[in-house]
Amino acid sequence: MAILGFRRATGGAIGVFRARPGPETVNRRRLPARTLPPMFDTRNIRNFSIVAHIDHGKSTLADQLLLQSGAISEREFKEQLLDDLKVERERGITVKARAVAINYELDGQKYEINFIDTPGHVDFHYEVSRSLAACEGALLLVDAFQGVQAQTVANAYAAINADLEVIPVVNKVDLPVTRIPEVLEEIETVVGLDTTNVLKTSGKSGIGVKDCLRAIIERIPAPKGSVDSPLQALVFDSKYDTYRGVITYIRVMEGRVQKGQKIYFMKGGTAHEVLELGQFRPNMVSCDDLSAGQVGYIICGIKELGSVHVGDTVTDYLHRAPQALPGYEVPQQMVFCGMYPVDATDFEHLREELQKMSLNDASFSFAPDTSDALGFGFRCGFLGMLHMEIIQQRLEQEADVDLIQTAPNVTYQIVKTDGEILQVDNPQEVPDVGSIDEFREPIAKVHFILPSDKIGPIMQLSADRRGTYLTTEYLGPNRVQLVYELPLAEIVFDMYDKLKSITQGYGTMNYEVIGFRPADLVKMDILVKGEKVDALAVIVHRTQAERRGRAVCKKLKEEISRHQFEIPLQAALGARVIARETISAVRKDVTAKCYGGDISRKRKLLEKQKEGKKRMKQFGAVEIPQKAFLAVLSTSEDGD
Amino acid sequence: MSTTATAAYVHVPFCRHRCGYCDFTLIAGRDDLVPAYLRGLERELRFHPHDPPTGRTDLKTLFFGGGTPTHPGPADLAKLLQLVRDRFELAENAEVSVEANPLDLTEEKLQVLIDHGVNRISLGVQSFHDDELRQLERDHTAVDLQRIIPVTQRFLPNLSVDLIFGIPGQTLAAWEQSLKQAIHSGATHISTYGLTFESGTAFETRRRRGQLQPTPEDLEREMYALVMEMLPAAGFEQYEISNFARPGFRCQHNEVYWRGDEYHAYGPGAARYLNRRRETNIRSVLGWLAKLDRGLTPVADVDELSPDTQARELIFLGLRRNSGIDRTDFQRRTGWNLEDFAGDIITRQVEFGSLVSDPKGLRLTQAGRFIADRVIAEFL
Repeated sequence: MAILGFRRATGGAIGVFRARPGPETVNRRRLPARTLPPMFDTRNIRNFSIVAHIDHGKSTLADQLLLQSGAISEREFKEQLLDDLKVERERGITVKARAVAINYELDGQKYEINFIDTPGHVDFHYEVSRSLAACEGALLLVDAFQGVQAQTVANAYAAINADLEVIPVVNKVDLPVTRIPEVLEEIETVVGLDTTNVLKTSGKSGIGVKDCLRAIIERIPAPKGSVDSPLQALVFDSKYDTYRGVITYIRVMEGRVQKGQKIYFMKGGTAHEVLELGQFRPNMVSCDDLSAGQVGYIICGIKELGSVHVGDTVTDYLHRAPQALPGYEVPQQMVFCGMYPVDATDFEHLREELQKMSLNDASFSFAPDTSDALGFGFRCGFLGMLHMEIIQQRLEQEADVDLIQTAPNVTYQIVKTDGEILQVDNPQEVPDVGSIDEFREPIAKVHFILPSDKIGPIMQLSADRRGTYLTTEYLGPNRVQLVYELPLAEIVFDMYDKLKSITQGYGTMNYEVIGFRPADLVKMDILVKGEKVDALAVIVHRTQAERRGRAVCKKLKEEISRHQFEIPLQAALGARVIARETISAVRKDVTAKCYGGDISRKRKLLEKQKEGKKRMKQFGAVEIPQKAFLAVLSTSEDGD
Repeated sequence: MSTTATAAYVHVPFCRHRCGYCDFTLIAGRDDLVPAYLRGLERELRFHPHDPPTGRTDLKTLFFGGGTPTHPGPADLAKLLQLVRDRFELAENAEVSVEANPLDLTEEKLQVLIDHGVNRISLGVQSFHDDELRQLERDHTAVDLQRIIPVTQRFLPNLSVDLIFGIPGQTLAAWEQSLKQAIHSGATHISTYGLTFESGTAFETRRRRGQLQPTPEDLEREMYALVMEMLPAAGFEQYEISNFARPGFRCQHNEVYWRGDEYHAYGPGAARYLNRRRETNIRSVLGWLAKLDRGLTPVADVDELSPDTQARELIFLGLRRNSGIDRTDFQRRTGWNLEDFAGDIITRQVEFGSLVSDPKGLRLTQAGRFIADRVIAEFL
């Protein structure tokens, strides 16, 4: 049976590395779809993910797995093959989960191994868990020198909680300096995994990759589903393609799905015909059906943005499964900012681009918003700061819209005197002080893992950030885990950077939001030349208002260039000014020589100067550059 | 298409050496190229299809600039002047100017100049202080000036003096002294230029490396303010951002540029403006010559002005003049009413105190003159 299945697969397009389905898929349509025999024995399927702390070498090892299993040839072997978004390549971070099907033969038996990639950054914890739901096992990758880090722990627990078989792998074993015995001990004590049969690999040189493939087959259980049950497939991702519409990533749990089949999205409540389905090898290769245990994609000609929900269950339209699969928690957006087109006529274009982004990224949201200062734009929600930066960067690269982004903020809760509870994700929505009974902010539980000699500075940093100390735990003689409760607003913007700089890159952190707590919060307004600029307003803790106010005014003074007139900058709580700076007027700006040969050049220079101003936002008579709207993030007077 | 342009500029690229602040088209230490240059000039004077047929147009202004037009020896200088005189007729009372480096001037050369109709000389004095002249890498001293200026005036009484302010290390008092000496030199015209660090110059490189400190903005403003106070008080009327003249002694050629009128131009790097097209020649002497030798155009860059750009340029140039922009003239030349064209910007700049707007026209205020580029940029 397995051999038969494999023949079908090789008769298709396995190992052929290209983007479009070939004609052979058409020839396969001779048999009536509903009477095809089961094609792939679930016993010979393995589905796995790799989880790791960022930079522990996941993508490089993944590439090696594809290369050494023959999924791609040496010629096709590209660096960071799985990170196919430009932004991700630039940042070296896998953001969007992708699935690759690999055919592999071990001890004379042929297997189909599906590798489902996961993102590594704390912001994308949600995407990690939805990838894990499509797997039976996971490789836990740990850097042979850096050892267990905060996201190693967080991701390992996510995999264990999802009932996955977790195989510890020590990676980068060929580094000149490693700490393998200590790292093994950390895996045992911190993560709680047995390291007797630990794998030792190097993604760079390819050491131990074959052992990984063997371990995946021998240690990860085969999928449990039955080909004969009613179809149940989990939607674990989706992507928008300009030509083909929505591409839906599925893991078939029960039954099978075939080309031409009428399917039904159980939560979405919509029915569609499967126009194409297939697998990623690693580019899209179509086939005729996917059966229990397999991972692949379906295309149903869906054009309506947002009509495919990640976490939904696909079933047969007529023979529906009795119930949907457990989906996912709705991702929690904790960071919000405004995005406004510099040119007001780009508004609709920006809306379309944001819609495209949100289809590819269920954890991103947006809603129309207006600002006196910036006009029409959108309020956008993100999982965290990195997520925000990635979306912004992708918009710039793909959308060709000049954007003004306002400073990000977290979501607050305000209990009004009449008992109403407001969710506030925009400082402009903060009501009058008189009508606020309680101002609440989100609190996160933060796990830091750091060298023990840096405990002092990190405790100081946490205290400065209004943190509450919980516990200290030694992971070894030199490494320690600190646990704090911190206001989310104090950590999302720059805590990670501060931690990295204090610990020379050795400290790591992970956090989860645990709830809202009352705090003495106020809305700080920024006045430019006597006028409030709504897009610069920010919510701060009262004890920090003055320091923040001074820092913001100072930063704005750097960002806003001098004008023909003096520009006073003020930070105010209500009517009370708490900080001020003044941008002095330009004293002299005049070209001395302007004769026959100079005129065109000078005119063009001045035109360019004027062109630069068009990219700024005119506020009264003051031109404010895009970057200035982020100045309110400044927390210290040295301009950090 | 021939034009009615009555102004011509001739660029003479030779210099003894390149001063650190200079970014003009010039070639230093290659006097061997003078004959080739003269050959090229002769060709170019008969090259441009839009130029008038010989003898048909009387030039009202002719300007020899550089470089240093007085750098070639007397024989070459005579040939240079004659080439142009052979090509164009001069109108009665035409203004014929040359730029000159003090140390290049000999009585013999001065005689050659007047023999060929030159009646105005613009002398690159720059400063009356030796330390500043050294800083500027000029080859003359204050003592040289005391000798050369009177001699020059014997031949060419219509003498203009160029001065530079904002020289690194220059004090306000030193600047005041230079201005006084220029006033008392008997010059009919004074141009004062704030030093700029142009890209590609040695000064700019040194500034980037921190070896040259530009003059603080406030001091530079005071220096410019001093010019606008002292020169008018001494009888020099300001007629452009950097130019001051005794009554009747404005540079008529430069006024052609600032009125937005047309002009011919010849020589490497020279720019002409004819039929709403500004063309700039190849800057390299050899490159310019090579094209002309092959009968090809020496033009490197063409700026075709749209009616809109032309109108904006008229505002740009007009605002640099003290007389400003004349509403009637603007409408006649562009077809637009000035208020319709830029009413909101005018209103705003009048509010800021940078512009005066009245029924006759539009002018910079004294306050606006200090930030003229900024005000002008608003209109572009």
